[in-house]
Amino acid sequence: MPSERRLHPASILFLLGGQVREFLFPLALLIFGARSSDWGWQSWAALLLIPYSGLAVLRWLTLRWRCGEGELVVRSGLVFRGERHVPLARIQNLDAVQNPLHRLLRVVEVRVQTGAGAEPEAVLRVLRVADFEELRQRVFAGRAAGTLAAGDAPAPPATRELLRLSAGELALCGLVRNRGWLVIAAAYGLLWELGLQDRLQERVFGDAEAARVEELVSGASLLAGVALGVLAFVALLLLLRLFSMGWTLVRLHGFRLARVGEDLRTEFGLLTRVATTIPLRRIQTLTLQEGPLHRLTRRVSLRVGTAGGGAGEEKSAGREWLAPILRRDALPGLLCEVLPELDLAAIAWQPLHPRALRRRLKWAVIAALLLALPAVPLLGAWTPALGAALLAWFALAALRGVALMGWAVTDDVVLYRSGWLWRETTIARVARIQAVALHESPFDRRHGHAGVHVDTAGAHAAAHHVRIPYLAREVADGLARRLALAAASTEFRW
Amino acid sequence: MTNDSSPLAAGGLQAAPDPAPVAPPPEPLLADGVERPLDPRALPLERSVCWIVTGVVSGVTALGLVPVLLLAPLPDWLALLLGGAWVLVTGLLAWWSLRWPPLWHRHASWSLDATGLQIRHGVWWRHVIRVPRSRVQHTDVTQGPLERRHGLGTLVVHTAGTEHAQVPLGGLDHATALRLRDHLLPREGGDAV
Repeated sequence: MPSERRLHPASILFLLGGQVREFLFPLALLIFGARSSDWGWQSWAALLLIPYSGLAVLRWLTLRWRCGEGELVVRSGLVFRGERHVPLARIQNLDAVQNPLHRLLRVVEVRVQTGAGAEPEAVLRVLRVADFEELRQRVFAGRAAGTLAAGDAPAPPATRELLRLSAGELALCGLVRNRGWLVIAAAYGLLWELGLQDRLQERVFGDAEAARVEELVSGASLLAGVALGVLAFVALLLLLRLFSMGWTLVRLHGFRLARVGEDLRTEFGLLTRVATTIPLRRIQTLTLQEGPLHRLTRRVSLRVGTAGGGAGEEKSAGREWLAPILRRDALPGLLCEVLPELDLAAIAWQPLHPRALRRRLKWAVIAALLLALPAVPLLGAWTPALGAALLAWFALAALRGVALMGWAVTDDVVLYRSGWLWRETTIARVARIQAVALHESPFDRRHGHAGVHVDTAGAHAAAHHVRIPYLAREVADGLARRLALAAASTEFRW
Repeated sequence: MTNDSSPLAAGGLQAAPDPAPVAPPPEPLLADGVERPLDPRALPLERSVCWIVTGVVSGVTALGLVPVLLLAPLPDWLALLLGGAWVLVTGLLAWWSLRWPPLWHRHASWSLDATGLQIRHGVWWRHVIRVPRSRVQHTDVTQGPLERRHGLGTLVVHTAGTEHAQVPLGGLDHATALRLRDHLLPREGGDAV
């Protein structure tokens, strides 16, 4: 499509969307005369809508894009003109997002991800679905022509479905991965936006209710009070899990993972449909997650880290899911598809240095003391009991944690696993290692230990990384040298 | 400059030759894998930075403390305690300014070979960072005002990583930093995407 194009005219609506969302609710309330006395700042700010809409129309008029000669060009601006050239070969992912309104208008929001930073390189808000398909084909055609010999007509690659999650599996997924707090937070945000939160709080936590609860508690014996508390706590936990299941069912509805040529494609969402593309060779790391409920139901979750932007934002976190939930026995098949060079069953896991347990136990004692001591005025003579309970728990965590920690290295990948109740295993491709660091703290030096950190692209801060602690100094040095050398002898390709 | 050209010439004769020299670099004896200390002039620079920190901290606290001691009706022991604390902090900082720079300098080094750059730094928490050459995205050489006075420069190596997206190497002779930069420039056709 060498000729320049505008975005879909509906873009004006969506360009406005971001700024307007804050004003929409007060505006609606205003129009429907619900609370005309609350002529708050938001309603005044709604007057800004007029210049905003002018700006949005102007932006739509001036923004043009074209895709040709191996690059995507986005031109925008009237006074300050910008022209962004994104080489097609550098495009990491093309994500398409469709919320219900998008679907109604048959348009799609396209996020163009390159390796740079956490933000998408370009956001085309919004394109016709046909335009998006054409763009996607062009990006892939360009890539295929680059990798195949010249003259090869890139035949449309076959689509092979790797995973499809049924509603039952998704409900299970919501159950094992607790996302309930997200629902609570979102609901609270909505209430705040509507200005209903104060009223609700009054209803729930008002004086009358507080008195009633107090009556209930003081009237009963201590034991009954404790039982009531425990019951309430369990009810809250169950409610959270229920919310989590609902949230997962809506958000990941119809999750489908397919392999198209050398790309992985995922599609999911009931209200907001998301379609993502992950080129196989751009996968930097793989993370396996297992909570206690995962083990009970013999499931795992599988995430990928790609160099594309947005790794950190929750909005596009779905792009990282390879399998939100997966049967344990289906794992080798999927891994074989993604990382053919890895055979997880044949990995020889290396333990940590034997003194790692001693160091962990020392920290368990310190942590138990630090937590128990402030409770002295509250518990008095019972403090040692609390201390002992804490110590037992931390010691158990140290014991199991150290026993389960492990690392391994092959010619192609380096693996690290950690965690006791919530276990994570990260697999980093040697050909994607950016830097290798050896760290020695003063405590490490006392025991002749060192840690090895492996840095890859697109690994966001909160995720699990290959950071192997408590290695013998020589082992760590050898590992760091080996990885750096192996990484240096492979060409890094985006 | 004079003091680092001699080890370069001495240690570099058996150096692995650069596989793809675009133009012959001025002194091709950098990538020999020999661990090199920082430039000796980095020591006075670090010393002045330490003294500046000491001066600023004790100056600002003194500025805050003097009006309090003069105007507020404090009991004598409290005034003495505050004054003593200030003297103690200043003394500790001065001691740190004397002791820290040589320690820091002794524990920092770098080396370059055919595979990449290795940086070693840290006194208490020690770090050895290795950046493979093929992972260098681009490099900067920066010079702050103090560095300019001492003829030093800082090399910043950018990678596509996250934790080590920028790997700084300070305390280099400016000319050496520039040569390192030229050396680490991505080779032609290195990133065939």
